[in-house]
Amino acid sequence: MDSAMPQPKGRTLFEIENLRKDYPMGEVTVHALRGVSLQIYSGEFLVILGPSGSGKSTLLNIIGGLDAPSGGRVRFKGQNLTTYNDAQRTQYRRRNIGFVFQFYNLMPNLTAEENVELATEIAPDPMPAREALGLVGLQERRTHFPSQLSGGEQQRVAIARAVAKRPEVLLCDEPTGALDISTGKLVLRVLADINKRLGATLIIITHNAVIGEMADRVVRMADGTARDIIVHATRRSVEELQW
Amino acid sequence: MVIGVLHRKLLRTIFRSWGQSLAVIAVVVCGSACYITIYSAYLNLRLTRDTYYAQCHFADFEIMLERAPAAAVFKIAEIPGVRHARARIVRDVNVDIEGVDEPRIGRIVSMPNPRAPVLHDIVVTEGRYFEPGAQSEVIVNDRFAEANGLQLGDRIHVSMEDKKYPLRIVGLGLSAEYVYMIRNVQELVPSPERFGILWVPTDFAETALDMRAACNNILGDVDRPEELDLILDQAEKLLKPFGVFAKVKREDQISNRFLSDEIHGLGVSARIIPTLFLGVAALILLVLLNRMVRMERTQIGLLKAYGYSDWTVAFHYVEYALILAVAGCLGGFALGARLSVGILRLYVDFYQFPLLEFRVYPDVLTWAMGLSIGFAVAGATFAAVRAARIHPAESMRPEAPRFAHRIWLERFPRLWRAVGFTWKMILRNIGRNAFRASLNIFGVAVSTGLLIMGFFTMDAMYYGMEYQFNEVQREDVKISFQGERGRDALYDMQRFRHVRYAEPLLEYPFEVRAGWRKKDIIVIGLPQEAQLLKLMTFRRGEISIPERGVILGDYLAGELGVVPGDRILMKPLMGRVTREREVVVHGITEQFLGTTAYMDLHALSRILDEPFAMNAALLRIEKGAEQAVNRAFKDIAGIASVGFREKAYQSLLDTLAESMRIMNVTLLAFAGVIAFSIIYNVTSVSLAERQRELASLRVLGFTAGETGSILYYENFLLGVIGMAFGIPVGMFLSRLLVRAYESDLYRLPFHIDQTTYVISIALTTGFVALANWAVRRKIHGLDLVEVLKERE
Ligand SMILES: Nc1ncnc2c1ncn2[C@@H]1O[C@H](COP(=O)(O)OP(=O)(O)OP(=O)(O)O)[C@@H](O)[C@H]1O
Ligand SMILES: [Mg+2]
Repeated sequence: MDSAMPQPKGRTLFEIENLRKDYPMGEVTVHALRGVSLQIYSGEFLVILGPSGSGKSTLLNIIGGLDAPSGGRVRFKGQNLTTYNDAQRTQYRRRNIGFVFQFYNLMPNLTAEENVELATEIAPDPMPAREALGLVGLQERRTHFPSQLSGGEQQRVAIARAVAKRPEVLLCDEPTGALDISTGKLVLRVLADINKRLGATLIIITHNAVIGEMADRVVRMADGTARDIIVHATRRSVEELQW
Repeated sequence: MVIGVLHRKLLRTIFRSWGQSLAVIAVVVCGSACYITIYSAYLNLRLTRDTYYAQCHFADFEIMLERAPAAAVFKIAEIPGVRHARARIVRDVNVDIEGVDEPRIGRIVSMPNPRAPVLHDIVVTEGRYFEPGAQSEVIVNDRFAEANGLQLGDRIHVSMEDKKYPLRIVGLGLSAEYVYMIRNVQELVPSPERFGILWVPTDFAETALDMRAACNNILGDVDRPEELDLILDQAEKLLKPFGVFAKVKREDQISNRFLSDEIHGLGVSARIIPTLFLGVAALILLVLLNRMVRMERTQIGLLKAYGYSDWTVAFHYVEYALILAVAGCLGGFALGARLSVGILRLYVDFYQFPLLEFRVYPDVLTWAMGLSIGFAVAGATFAAVRAARIHPAESMRPEAPRFAHRIWLERFPRLWRAVGFTWKMILRNIGRNAFRASLNIFGVAVSTGLLIMGFFTMDAMYYGMEYQFNEVQREDVKISFQGERGRDALYDMQRFRHVRYAEPLLEYPFEVRAGWRKKDIIVIGLPQEAQLLKLMTFRRGEISIPERGVILGDYLAGELGVVPGDRILMKPLMGRVTREREVVVHGITEQFLGTTAYMDLHALSRILDEPFAMNAALLRIEKGAEQAVNRAFKDIAGIASVGFREKAYQSLLDTLAESMRIMNVTLLAFAGVIAFSIIYNVTSVSLAERQRELASLRVLGFTAGETGSILYYENFLLGVIGMAFGIPVGMFLSRLLVRAYESDLYRLPFHIDQTTYVISIALTTGFVALANWAVRRKIHGLDLVEVLKERE
């Protein structure tokens, strides 16, 4: 692991300055983020590591426009996200962000393909739903309902759904958290592949430090701050990882 | 405290989902309030009626005749089974009141002087009874007095025979005989300023009406009401020579009929309406609690693992229903108390009691509480049993996913592909939650049906009145004579100033018979080509009067079981002629008021052995000449009454409009509460279950509106289906109502205006929209981060 000089992969996509998030809980206030500053570059693969409660999800949700910060700033391509209202954040998510969560959040009423179409229907320049399912290797299962798919398959559908609108950024909060090792690897490979082939910026939250080796950079969070950033000169492939 | 914690959880659940809780409570409030109001009204009216009738010695029968010696009453009293009989004189006369130009009709009713307890006695509310030997004293019905600004000591004039008599008002009074004070069935609702009762000493009535030692009305009471028919038959035989034209049993006495129909109707409503509401509340609770048990499966398992008994856990859910039921019922007490005052006001407008108390009985409250709780617990039982059955070990595993399956529409792939995913989700969701969808549809259907029924009553009344007062009756004035007249009477009428046109009319009481079925009715004789009274059939075609043969009202034809071409027997109930005649039924006319038959005037006269007889005339007069005409006619000897069609119509419309308004506002509120509560609750449950789905749509970049539209459209789709069912439901309820109110006196025409459908549907759509709007708050408030953090 070499911590060489920072080598940005592309231009700056996110500029995060002194980002704070407080949860006033009656008497006490929980400080989920206590001033995070970070640059995220276009097309990079970034892994966020950190103990439970360190503010990883909070950070990701703010970046993804799900949540508004209490202080500080997030700039996306020069636009200040922090001033967005709810409707603007919705538009921002619609255009730019693909989310993948630990739980797959598929519509139980829709087939795999229809779940993906859900995303393509509202995106300005989507890829065909079948192509997206092809990317995750599930073309043959497209007419199946979520309840007819395994957890890993459901997660891949979720990824296909996130990817289908060709988002600039793919945000994944513990995407392998609910999966066994080999399925987890499969999912990671799909994600890394998409990052490489489509050039989408990929941000993954994980508890598994090993996954960090696949990334261009690793941010370590602790206590609501970005403790340190590790930059990798080369990324490893999933097969090279030692679990 | 273990139970304490569970209680806290329960209360928190109730307060957190306050919208839903309130919606359930609202339905229970409506149900219990209706029960309390209607059932109390029922009990109060019944009790008041019974005490009042006893106090006034309400007669069991009344025989109306032309003229009989007063002594005839002794023969009646001697009929076995008859307890008392009373002879009296009853006659409608024109009343002159200082400063009032409009026609006023008073019904002279003779009373014994000195006072004696008699059948159909009166209650003197103000002033006094007649002084011994008094001649020109009168006790006036107090409503009539009030409406005409009359006070004790005032003088009124009545025209009888050829003379005008002054009468001094010595008392104001009421009688059980005129609780519902209308002159005849045609009037339908009381108008106390135009018609009132004048009680006079028998002496005066005999002298003024030239009825010395005679009577035209005999009352009686009997030991056993079931013998009434027999007794009346005997009485008729005895009184035959004196021209009996109507035998009225207590149950057919007009005022009693209206009052008792009302009481009976209340009794039925007291059962149906609360059941409907409480049933709806039970269904909503069923859905709510089922969902709660499903969501809390794991917690239930845990509680049981800790050692809570099945019973404790099950009761937890029953308790939820109990709390809402008790809260709703307490609200019902409050609302019920208010509505009771309202209903009292309504009854005071229509019925005259010396004292109409409105008590709310403790029993009724107890029952209301019992019923509310009973229904609520019934709704909760299913969920409670389910909770009791949950096995602690199993509960830790997630419930087997309910398979999302294809719905039938997907068998047509081309069609299905054209369906947007919003609709795909909606359609599959409906398929998945068929029960809830049905409940939604049910709510909308009931609400639409109730509205249609409510507006129908208005449509039917207006249609019926329009028909009666504009299509059938076309005269400006109707003059009724005392006794039959010849053709001269018509010429006399035509010669009057302001009279443009006159037509003769003969109204005569007959007994008509077809096989074993018989009925006492009025037969009306009309001239050929009558212009001022028209007979109509369905689809409002006029029918002409046949030269021979009779035209029956549709209800009468039904009662007699005859169709055109059949023969009926007609026997005059008064006059010289007593033989039966066979007559062919020539046609049937649609009739909403009364039960009558029509014939050619000459043919009817011939049955009475006269070449030409008339006892009324219909006039068309110059515009604006009403008062002049009234003044000219009311004092003429031999004229019994003068009636103006337009006035009667107008006052009927006014009275009905007011009571209809009250009824419809109430109904609207009820329908709204039902539709809103069901839709709001079902949608809230649906929303709670699909939070995650909806949140992930939001994450994908769908706006709150787009996300919500899945629920909104689903509701509107179910709403449309519900309304489609609601229309036949409304028609069915309306038909029931027609059936329930069908009687000799009046019928509701089954007529529903197009606008009723439109308005009902528009209103229900409004209710659906309102429920959607209420849910909207929840969709917009959905905390995405929070929802997605939860485990699936
Ligand atoms: N809605 C909330 N109200 C109060 N505190 C919150 C809320 N959401 C998060 N927190 C607090 O903010 C802090 C950071 O939470 P966050 O979910 O970002 O942690 P995390 O790093 O993602 O943890 P994990 O690895 O367990 O998912 C935690 O201390 C958490 O308790
Ligand atoms: Mg987290």
